[in-house]
Amino acid sequence: MRDIFFELSVRSVRLNFLRSLLASIGIVIGVVAISSMGMLGTNMQLSVKAQLSSDVNTVIITSDTVRTTSINGVPSSQTGIDKSELNDIISAAGTNTVIPLHHTNTQFTIGSTDGRGAIWGIAPNDIPKFLTVAQGDNVRGLNDCLVGSAIADNFNLAIGTRIKLGQPGTADRPSVRTSGILASRGFPSDGVFTDNAIIVPDLYYTNQYGDLNVYDQVNVILNNVDSLSDVEAAIDERVNRNTQLVRISDASSRIASITQTLSTITTFILAIGGISLVVAAVSIFNVMMMSVNERVQEIGILLSIGTEKGEVRRMFLYEAFILGIIGAIVGGVMSLIIGYSVVSAMIGSTEYFFLPESIIFVPYGMIIGVVVCIASGLYPAWKASNMDPIDALRSE
Amino acid sequence: MEETPLIRLVDASKVYHLESGDFVALNHLNLEIHDGEFVAIMGPSGSGKSTLMNLLGMLDVPTTGKVFIAGKNMADISSLERTHMRRDVIGYIFQKFYLIPLLSAYENVEYPLILKYKKRDATGKAAAVLRSVGFDEALAAHRPAQLSGGQQQRVAIARALVNDPKILLCDEPTGNLDRKTGFAIMDIICEMNRKGKTVILVTHDPKIARCAQRTIQLEDGRIVEA
Repeated sequence: MRDIFFELSVRSVRLNFLRSLLASIGIVIGVVAISSMGMLGTNMQLSVKAQLSSDVNTVIITSDTVRTTSINGVPSSQTGIDKSELNDIISAAGTNTVIPLHHTNTQFTIGSTDGRGAIWGIAPNDIPKFLTVAQGDNVRGLNDCLVGSAIADNFNLAIGTRIKLGQPGTADRPSVRTSGILASRGFPSDGVFTDNAIIVPDLYYTNQYGDLNVYDQVNVILNNVDSLSDVEAAIDERVNRNTQLVRISDASSRIASITQTLSTITTFILAIGGISLVVAAVSIFNVMMMSVNERVQEIGILLSIGTEKGEVRRMFLYEAFILGIIGAIVGGVMSLIIGYSVVSAMIGSTEYFFLPESIIFVPYGMIIGVVVCIASGLYPAWKASNMDPIDALRSE
Repeated sequence: MEETPLIRLVDASKVYHLESGDFVALNHLNLEIHDGEFVAIMGPSGSGKSTLMNLLGMLDVPTTGKVFIAGKNMADISSLERTHMRRDVIGYIFQKFYLIPLLSAYENVEYPLILKYKKRDATGKAAAVLRSVGFDEALAAHRPAQLSGGQQQRVAIARALVNDPKILLCDEPTGNLDRKTGFAIMDIICEMNRKGKTVILVTHDPKIARCAQRTIQLEDGRIVEA
């Protein structure tokens, strides 16, 4: 048999059904916002982490110095790994695979449509060591190129299509022929983002963009992932023995850095979701104050016939709890539906959606919703319990 | 040895501090009411009847002086103890019935039992008390708004009696009822007094007051005739 004060609260909510429903909708929105945003952020982290973890056997070396040079008497500065540093890396890497990479950004034209993306210069025999050609073949001639999956999809690209490089409208733009389309890589931890890129032979790249014997990045693909720290130490010892010339990183540090960034973004969007709960809290507070003000005489009756202040407080807190639990349950169910749709639409995969670290945001959101409701009811409940029964009885 | 009075007011005053100045509602009142007495309190509006009932009902404390109820000085006990005494020692019957609108007639009577025993009534006492005041059992599930004035007052009397209090405070219990129903209600109250309850009744009607063994006439916060 139910507690009489709980029964009174249920009846009060039923009596003011529409008002209570509207207040609960605020909580539903808050719970959905927090849960969905939390699940979206977590799914994003898990998805990115999984993609990065597939390249965990790669050491990434980038330049840590700026060199001052002179081109036609004009001072210029550049960053990059020079031939001597590359030889040191090859020497330190031992039997592991060393892949020097050139990289810049470029504008291009396919048919009559212009685009912008990255361009990588890679030795043709290095390409199959870490990239997968999904359609067509690897580059064979100097003017062949491979195209990333995003460009291929966006431009509806066919094998054999010619791509003009450089700024549109410029005379004598060089062009390359598409020999193959790469498989999507997403967010690779080796730093070679190819989905929106064009890959050309290293010789073609240096002919067009210069930087012969200067590399933007060198990747070392390990035969055995357990030797990661030894290889990193050896490269550091060899190349950075006098001055810090190169920066050495690997997937773990990149994963940590990217997941930290995503975690910050998740916290931020959760906070935005939290704002809707603040609005809901104001609504619940308003409804509870209306409930107290409408029931002043009833409160006076309760107090005058021997109801304890704590029991009156409990009655109003139950009412806030009922509004919260209704909002939380409906919000929880809707979070699953909306969260699933949002994750599916924004990440393209729901394989991590039902993992505990993702789905936990539903009970989190529900608990926060109920706690917010009860917190909103504290002052109205306190006000009700501290009324003077004589004044309360006199009110009409 | 002289019997200790159930209710004793010693030089009790109640002063309200208003913007227009202090208003003395009760002025150095001395009063004793013994167990089993039936006392009527009469007086014009503003004479202090309601203030006196508030003191006797433990809803208020005097500004000066002392109020003893069942041997306890109201100034010496905590607010929670006063609440428990209101629940256990006092049965309050109001002119406007003051039933809890969200509860049925039966639940209104059961409510003080729940307050006292912290559980729903499984003994049938609430139903028995409702029957004893002549309430139609078929209406027990009705809410107060669905009942007539006379029926509501019977429920209010049953609610006041259910915890078997020593004192029944009746604040113009027939004021909102027709003459016939009013007399029926007074019959119940008189019957309760015959069964040993101490009854204190506020009324403007001298005919009703004649039911009491003693009448106290209040004027300007003082007892002018007892």
